Amino acid sequence: MTGSHQTEAARGCTEYAELSRRGFLAASGLAAAAVAAPAWLPRIAFAKDYRSSMRDVIISIYLRGASDGLTMCVPYGDNAYYSLRPTLAIARPDSSATDKATDLDGFFGLPPAMLPLLPAYQAQRLAIVHACGSTDASRSHFDAQRFMEVGKADDPTLLTGWLGRHIANIPPLNPSAVLRGVGLSTGLARTLVGAPDTLPIANLSGFNLAGAQTSRTARRMVIDNMYNGTLDPLKAAGLTTLQTIDTLANISFSTYQPSGGANYGTSAFGSSMKSVAALLKAQVGVEAVAIDVNGWDTHTNQGNISGTMAALMASIAQVLAAFDTDLTSGPTQPSYIAVVMSEFGRRAAENGSAGTDHGHGNCMLVLGSAVQGGRVVSQWPGLAPGQLYEGLDLDVTIDYRDVLAEICAQRLGAPDLSVIFPDYAPTFRNIVA
Amino acid sequence: MPHATVMDHGAPAASQSTEDAPPGKLAAPSGPAVARRALFGFGALAAAWSSAKSVAAPPRVPADIEPNSLLVRLVSRLTMGLTTEEHALANALGYQGYLEYHLNHTAIPDTALDTMLADQVRFSTLTMTYEQLLQVAAGQAANECIEAAIFRNVYSKRQFFERMVEFWSDHFNIDIAGERTSRLKPIDDRDVIRPNALGNFRTLLHASAHSPALLFYLNNDISVAGNPNENYARELLELHTMGADGGYSQQDVAEVARCFTGWTIWRDASGAAAGTFRYNQNVHDTGQKTVLGNVIPARSAAAGIQDGLDVLNILLDHPSTARYVSKKLCGWLLGRATPQATVDAVAGVYTTSGGDIKAMIREALRPNNLAAAEMKFKRPWHLFVNCMRVVPTTITNTSQLRSRLITAGQPRFGWPTPDGYPDHVDYWVGNVMPRWNFGADLMNSNQPIGGISVNTTGYFAGLTTAPQVVGRVSDALEGGEMPQGERTLLENYLQPTPTSVTQQREVLGLAMSSPSFQWY
Repeated sequence: MTGSHQTEAARGCTEYAELSRRGFLAASGLAAAAVAAPAWLPRIAFAKDYRSSMRDVIISIYLRGASDGLTMCVPYGDNAYYSLRPTLAIARPDSSATDKATDLDGFFGLPPAMLPLLPAYQAQRLAIVHACGSTDASRSHFDAQRFMEVGKADDPTLLTGWLGRHIANIPPLNPSAVLRGVGLSTGLARTLVGAPDTLPIANLSGFNLAGAQTSRTARRMVIDNMYNGTLDPLKAAGLTTLQTIDTLANISFSTYQPSGGANYGTSAFGSSMKSVAALLKAQVGVEAVAIDVNGWDTHTNQGNISGTMAALMASIAQVLAAFDTDLTSGPTQPSYIAVVMSEFGRRAAENGSAGTDHGHGNCMLVLGSAVQGGRVVSQWPGLAPGQLYEGLDLDVTIDYRDVLAEICAQRLGAPDLSVIFPDYAPTFRNIVA
Repeated sequence: MPHATVMDHGAPAASQSTEDAPPGKLAAPSGPAVARRALFGFGALAAAWSSAKSVAAPPRVPADIEPNSLLVRLVSRLTMGLTTEEHALANALGYQGYLEYHLNHTAIPDTALDTMLADQVRFSTLTMTYEQLLQVAAGQAANECIEAAIFRNVYSKRQFFERMVEFWSDHFNIDIAGERTSRLKPIDDRDVIRPNALGNFRTLLHASAHSPALLFYLNNDISVAGNPNENYARELLELHTMGADGGYSQQDVAEVARCFTGWTIWRDASGAAAGTFRYNQNVHDTGQKTVLGNVIPARSAAAGIQDGLDVLNILLDHPSTARYVSKKLCGWLLGRATPQATVDAVAGVYTTSGGDIKAMIREALRPNNLAAAEMKFKRPWHLFVNCMRVVPTTITNTSQLRSRLITAGQPRFGWPTPDGYPDHVDYWVGNVMPRWNFGADLMNSNQPIGGISVNTTGYFAGLTTAPQVVGRVSDALEGGEMPQGERTLLENYLQPTPTSVTQQREVLGLAMSSPSFQWY
């Protein structure tokens, strides 16, 4: 047994010993640390049966502000797209334009900014689900996000997130895990609310108590006892935080070297995903990660080829591609599935401000080794006037819950989808194996 | 009978008996104050999905709350953190007197703060026009605006006014990040939010609709006839007035957007009035519109500004607005679980008073409502300011403090989307490490938070035993209501020498990290 659990417990603090119970179990069931492990790996060892469960770690990525799915995955085969978007459309693949779509399947194409994901698509690790999303009709960011994240439409009494309930409803992937879910943010996304052993941690490195080193252990024990004596949710937050100190302290995020030459770039999202890669490779039992990418509410100056939207797309494409490379190269390859979603799409027709207003249908991205990728999964409703939702927007022909439910059932070991998506009977689309 | 003191007496002015009973008469060994603390927190969050569709309802304080607890709670709700000074004031004035004292904020002398804000080196931009702000370095106006907010919240005697400024800053949220909003939001704070924070909601809404910062932030500045931008129109309905379930349609949003075409800003290079509100009749949609069933007649371009004014008045008169704004105000003052009857009563006051914010607050803060309210979780801004208020804190530079606020999740005026910072525990509760560390670093004698220093000389003067020292901490931070379990742990920490300055400061830091201090 290594690590500071033993140190703390040995101080004779009974409350702490009880709290360390899971920490003890963590160490006792584990094999000795692999001698060849890289320096950034935790000093605690891995459970041998970690991979045998065949459950993926899920990375839930939310594009806040309503991303323009008609740009992220271009329906160039639909002529109406070009009349709706006289200045914002991405040119057809056969166009003579310099900046144009790259064909995916004869109907859809990727804009230049999304091309970093083309290799993953071609390797059949990336699937795009189009004309997909929530059926929430409000066009309100905040209602749409909320109801999408809780997993049920128009129910203001449901406060926990779909992923939070999923985690609460399954045994831990790693019985010794102190941290099962993490949001790379300063507040917990609704998606993860309700998940046990879950924290928002914006920066995974340097996670420790401040103050004088000489009194840190004693102060930690006071905090531990104070939080042990209070009630949830603050109790759980406090105790999980203390336990997570040791878990994260054993991973050297700052010196982490991605595998396969993966380049995450310099964006905040890239830094977060690089940390997530280190976290997953450390195999400490994290099974759900939520990350937000802000800034998609492009009412003005959307900038499909260069500008706001293009920069956002380029960033997520590069980072996702790097993450995929990183986790499928090198000696440690945690099984993961990443899903990218947004609250709704944008108006089919561009507005007078070189932007787009709030719309309806959108696209989702699903990336991972178990994805049956290389496809755009869609029941395309069309963009002609009579085909638009309320005469304005791309319709939703695949409910976002179909995608998430299939992932939960097929890759996350969900025993009961009705807990995750109440009052909804999902249709699987064979997006994952 | 003591417990009669929190009965609702109808007209607030009649509830004078609330505060008169001496607290000592009511304190029992395991009395209500302890019971209240024991109720902190929610039921098991993780298990909630199986038993019900939602997380467990927040606990309620028993209606037989003792008067001191009720006063402590009132002080905590009206200020950015109880201090011994505010606690004594509340004891002197009583429940209703203390509330009225803070509602009548302009009568509260604030000379110490005024002197700080008069520092023309530190605060050179607070009174500037947009054109003047264009002549100073990018970011300076925003920095000074945020720094002024820190000084006001920590040092102002008009504490409740600042609480309401925070509330309306969320309600009409504008992200200060960005080249234009970094100069426009400070003006909005000065000219829209602060003058109306304890005024009239009708005036406030009209002022916000004319706010260059808001019109720019929500893209109305480029909304033109034939191709309106819906962003402001939608958030006006959804966030500022009726609420998402208030009963408007997409068609209403589109029509409201048409009404507001031409509500814009004089551009930077346009001359004398740059950065001020402009109604540009040249791009206004002059056709007839229908908003929530009300016909807005076709008007000449010159008279077309009346369309938007009509919309504002239609919204202000709408019962959904009365309900939505009242519910949100009750959420701020009392908590999310405020009974519908209380919200309805506040909405009734909204209607009868014509949007008088003080009258709505009086209705919401009837003693029984506060006595029955759930505990609220301090957001990071609240917590940090609170920490700096309970120990003698000198602020010479705020850059590291602002960095801490970012880490904790709540930089001032920094929420990116127009809904404002969340005000519910499940969003904030998990990010406790920056909260703990702020208290620890604030009280660290090495002063690791640059620009912020705390002087505890004399803070524990004459106190020699651990219970005395911790008793002082409980009085200073929680009005004497720190739960016994926490007190015992802190007393034990002070062994063997309760007079060690380092340990005393660390105990203050630990108290700032305690579960009980996270709530108000």
